[in-house]
Amino acid sequence: MALPDRLSTTFSALADPTRRAILARLVSGEASVTELAAPFQMSLPAVSKHLKVLERAGLVARSREAQWRRCRLEGGPLKDAADWRDHYRRFWEQSLDRLEDYLDELQAKEKSDGHEDEH
Amino acid sequence: MDMRTSIDVEERERELVITRILDAPRDVVFRAWTEPDRVARWWGPQGFVTTYCDMDIRPGGAFRVCMRSPEGAEHWKQGIYREIVVPERLAFTFAWEDAEGKPGHQTLVTVTLADRGGRTELTLHQAVFETVAARDDHRRGWTSTLQRFAEYLAGNR
Repeated sequence: MALPDRLSTTFSALADPTRRAILARLVSGEASVTELAAPFQMSLPAVSKHLKVLERAGLVARSREAQWRRCRLEGGPLKDAADWRDHYRRFWEQSLDRLEDYLDELQAKEKSDGHEDEH
Repeated sequence: MDMRTSIDVEERERELVITRILDAPRDVVFRAWTEPDRVARWWGPQGFVTTYCDMDIRPGGAFRVCMRSPEGAEHWKQGIYREIVVPERLAFTFAWEDAEGKPGHQTLVTVTLADRGGRTELTLHQAVFETVAARDDHRRGWTSTLQRFAEYLAGNR
């Protein structure tokens, strides 16, 4: 029932506009850090810092070749983030079904008792 | 271009909205949401049993509830009440706990009750952001990122 803990990490990684822009760029294909930094008025180390956050969240992976560290998108955590609503929808719909039954029960009880039930 | 429609589409991506008409007056529905012994009767999926229910119903007050699945697994949920307006509105943060009791990602749940001639229209709204302020700060942003990802995932299947 509980959501995977990494969902929190995913959402906090996504809570920054620069990181979202980096991810959006990676949707169209792999890129080097320099390429990723180009649209931003930002130093390479600053962009690297954002990439580290994305890597820790499992949203971005970097290839191993030291010379040519291409970054690419990892879809798994984002799928979980997109699934959060389905998870909660199921939880609430089933709870509300039970609430309906419980309210029916209460109403029936009040009718047969002929008074409001005690607090 | 219909701006209203495009904004609604974005809202839907990061929010959950459920509406239901309940065959009971508002005050009865409100009590079913705010009194522990009543909450314990229904809050959780079919077959789940509430085994612990502690609710401090006041703005800033905490709740912590445990439900046991039919298989016997315990699931703890917790949060803080943000807004209580009898008998029309209840807002609280919501998070599942992990195995160590640490809360996971927080969401903000708002339950609104409207009188419909003796029946009650319940609207449940849940957003991924912890506070209304934080939610409004992120009006666009990663929502559209998620849309692009959905397309990306669809294309990489």
